Amino acid sequence: MSNQPEKAKAESFKSLSTKDKERKIADLLLNNAMYIIILLAIIYIAIQRPAFLGLSSIVNVISLTAAKLPIALGIGGCIVLTGTDISAGRVVGLSACISASLLTTVFKVFPNMTSAPPIIAVLLLVMVVGAAIGFVNGFSVAEFKLHPFIVTLSTQLITYGIILMYLMHGTNNGQTLSGLTQSYRDFVTKTLFTVGGVAIPRYVLYAIILTIFMWIVWNKTTFGKNMFAVGSNEEAANVSGVNVSKTIIMVFMLAGIMYAITGFFDGARIASANANTGLNYECDAIAACVIGGVSFVGGIGRISGIVIGVLLLQIIFAGLNFLSVDANMLYIIKGLIILIACAIDMRKYLVRK
Amino acid sequence: MDENNKTKELRGLYKHIKISVSALNKIIIGLCALLIIVLVMAVSNRGFTVTFDSTGGTAAAPQKLMYGDLIEEFDPPTREGYTFAGWYLDENLTIPWDMNNDTVTSSMTLYAEWSENNPSAE
Repeated sequence: MSNQPEKAKAESFKSLSTKDKERKIADLLLNNAMYIIILLAIIYIAIQRPAFLGLSSIVNVISLTAAKLPIALGIGGCIVLTGTDISAGRVVGLSACISASLLTTVFKVFPNMTSAPPIIAVLLLVMVVGAAIGFVNGFSVAEFKLHPFIVTLSTQLITYGIILMYLMHGTNNGQTLSGLTQSYRDFVTKTLFTVGGVAIPRYVLYAIILTIFMWIVWNKTTFGKNMFAVGSNEEAANVSGVNVSKTIIMVFMLAGIMYAITGFFDGARIASANANTGLNYECDAIAACVIGGVSFVGGIGRISGIVIGVLLLQIIFAGLNFLSVDANMLYIIKGLIILIACAIDMRKYLVRK
Repeated sequence: MDENNKTKELRGLYKHIKISVSALNKIIIGLCALLIIVLVMAVSNRGFTVTFDSTGGTAAAPQKLMYGDLIEEFDPPTREGYTFAGWYLDENLTIPWDMNNDTVTSSMTLYAEWSENNPSAE
């Protein structure tokens, strides 16, 4: 029963003329060009360094994917609205710095403090900060009709300024924040369970929970449906009674909260935070979304696509790192991957139309 | 009549782009070829560069190493009036680098720590 549609597909393929067949195959190859190249690269890496397919390496890739997933889930919403958010990385940095300055044993930023506040309170605080920056982004985009690139560029710079000033506060003098409390580190990185002696940290579980949460928000709520409606056609959504401004503001606020959570995890994951924490995270997240089929055309995107996009990027970069490819080269590769993903994205839309 | 050469309207961020499918095909193939060339270049030039910042002492030559290698032993740098006390991963000298156990996983710079020989004499 289950292979019935497959059969029908094969039948219809057979009935096509040779020219059409060629075109179909060319379509398939072009639309999946990026996946094919990445797959070939992974096979090459696995042959060169068999340890790449070892358990510890796989767990490492999964953990890195979990760490980068929340920010991509946040940015995905902005891309569905045909926008983007380039302030994301700095919001991650600010959130990591706030978390690391409060949940610490040395209190350099606030010399008057003697004990760390509850972890949940700090998590809520950074989420509020992230939501506030998201509100500024969303409000400017929705009410002043500014392009998200310009708005988020300015909030990116402002947030960076705030991070630098925050790190100069107290006796810290702009230095890296470290000496985090054990409870904060445990909350994020404590071993969830071990597979064959390799520990899986807790934040993998949190990332899964956030993914499920975002899937429900995107697919099962009115807000999610409104988001796709606004993304695919703002005027039509407005006519059919969707509150466009509110939807845009909420998407950006939700994204801001996701960045804040990423930063909260990153502080504990890296065990320190400084002005460079979160730098360029938005590039990886945007690349992951585009690879995962969240289209810049607007109104198109799936949570599963984002997860696959983040995973593919982490696999390829972990693999190239295994091959000892220098980080400088990775930037060029990332840039090319984004360009190819965009070209394929456009092509899919043109062909469908 | 060829449908592929018709220019169609795009939406969203691509709103102002006017391009035909056949042109896009060429762009995709070209970019993929470029990506493959860059990947081959990256792999053939592989190796992480470890540089040593001797922070005032005699210079130490950078080393090119592979993922998982130990840093090759070499004579520590010297500095007048100071004794070499070890290499660190960060400028603030908080994360020490263990030459015998730590393996290279990325390009990096190591910073030297110095202890003064006769602090009381000055």
